Amino acid sequence: MFQKPIILLFTLILLSSNVNAPALMYSVSSGSITFSSDAPLELIKASSNQLKGIFNADKKEFAFTLNVNSFKGFNSPLQQEHFNENYLESNKYPRASFEGKIIEDIDLKKNGSYNIRAKGNLTVHGVTQERILKCELSIKNKVVSIKSNFTVLLADHNITIPKVVHEKLASEIKVEVKADMIEK
Amino acid sequence: MKCLKLIFLFYVLTAATQIFAQDSTASLLSILEKEMEQNKDVTFYTTATFKTTRLINGHSVENVGKGVLDVKVSHRFGNISEGFYELFGLDKASMRAGFDYGITKNIMIGVGRSTFQKTYDGFIKVKILQQSRGKKNMPITLSYIPTIALKTIHYEDPKIDNHFRSRLSYSHQLIIGRKFSDNTSLQLMPVFIHQNLVTLARESNDIFAIGIGGRQKISKRVSLNAEYYYVLPGTRLNGTNNSLSLGFDIETGGHVFQLHFTNSQGMNERTFIADTKGRWDKGDIYFGFNISRVFTIGKKN
Repeated sequence: MFQKPIILLFTLILLSSNVNAPALMYSVSSGSITFSSDAPLELIKASSNQLKGIFNADKKEFAFTLNVNSFKGFNSPLQQEHFNENYLESNKYPRASFEGKIIEDIDLKKNGSYNIRAKGNLTVHGVTQERILKCELSIKNKVVSIKSNFTVLLADHNITIPKVVHEKLASEIKVEVKADMIEK
Repeated sequence: MKCLKLIFLFYVLTAATQIFAQDSTASLLSILEKEMEQNKDVTFYTTATFKTTRLINGHSVENVGKGVLDVKVSHRFGNISEGFYELFGLDKASMRAGFDYGITKNIMIGVGRSTFQKTYDGFIKVKILQQSRGKKNMPITLSYIPTIALKTIHYEDPKIDNHFRSRLSYSHQLIIGRKFSDNTSLQLMPVFIHQNLVTLARESNDIFAIGIGGRQKISKRVSLNAEYYYVLPGTRLNGTNNSLSLGFDIETGGHVFQLHFTNSQGMNERTFIADTKGRWDKGDIYFGFNISRVFTIGKKN
């Protein structure tokens, strides 16, 4: 009958491993994404302040997403309509996202600023690309602020430009992301 | 031994829940997306139900944006059945030139002049409801369009006592539209038309009709459109028929080209709904096009 205590012990070990300490999680309190297309004949700019995101500090994992149709700006209402209808197809692919892991180790408990790299999957227009994005991260009074500038190639995400608007639409889109994150 | 089995079962169950627990923390993105699904604070308004503010002859539920001027030039050629001598009607063109302007997102106005009976027309288009989902769920878009038209062609008989008001006609139209999918949109258009003067005493001054129309996109920038107006029998004018039109929308940046075949020659509500003389089965088909070019003249958004 000495088997019994052993199994009991196993069970206890298993149970204890199940009870994890809650991870240190951050979520975006305010975030914006601005993109610009700088083509010979036209400069198009639009932004959204509906960026959502969470960051698991223990695992260094993050995820950011937004509704594509929340972009405002553009040079005309029709342009916004075409952006959603013809280019990003926001009804079919409602969200753009970036999820992955931070490469560097950082101490979020202390104030400071870092240049970090975020490696992950960038999904736009339903097409996922693995990207390493450079990012400025600063911590001040428990608020984690991030800022990143990167470019997105339309061709990488299967967004085609008709010939007639070649001079009006850049093939490389500049993107700026800014977000403040607080402990959840 | 029974006790041992029980403990083993417990063991398996615990292991199973652990796997589940791991699964739910696996993707931060899925947590985020679930949060966004549950967030009912945002309303998504349906846009681009149709490519432009006209379906073919008549209005669609679309409005031009605020501060946007839409210049529309429309042509209807002669009867295709006239054959090669008239180059299938291309020698005879009737046209309408018009300007539409968006005062707000939901209110637009427009004026135009048609060569047919030298008619000036004006309209207001008010979007009362807009299809949406999310916080506000609305299955349809509803618009109201009152129009007025003034014929300036010389009086048929200048010797008799003619009244200015006899040149005027009015229409009131409701459009109930719905975008069923990215590619398919349909709309119903009940319409009431009043003409101050009709040709025959037994004809009604008031005409009721109901229209049905829709579009099916066949590529990102091309759609197939159809539009039919059924005039209620008691109110039909002598020798007129229901208007049936089929056409394509081709969109290129700020332009929309609409090419179509129709049995109507007029391009304002009174003429194409109440005064369509052609019959498809007799070959009275007119080729026509509308060109729309938008200019943003007001402030952005």
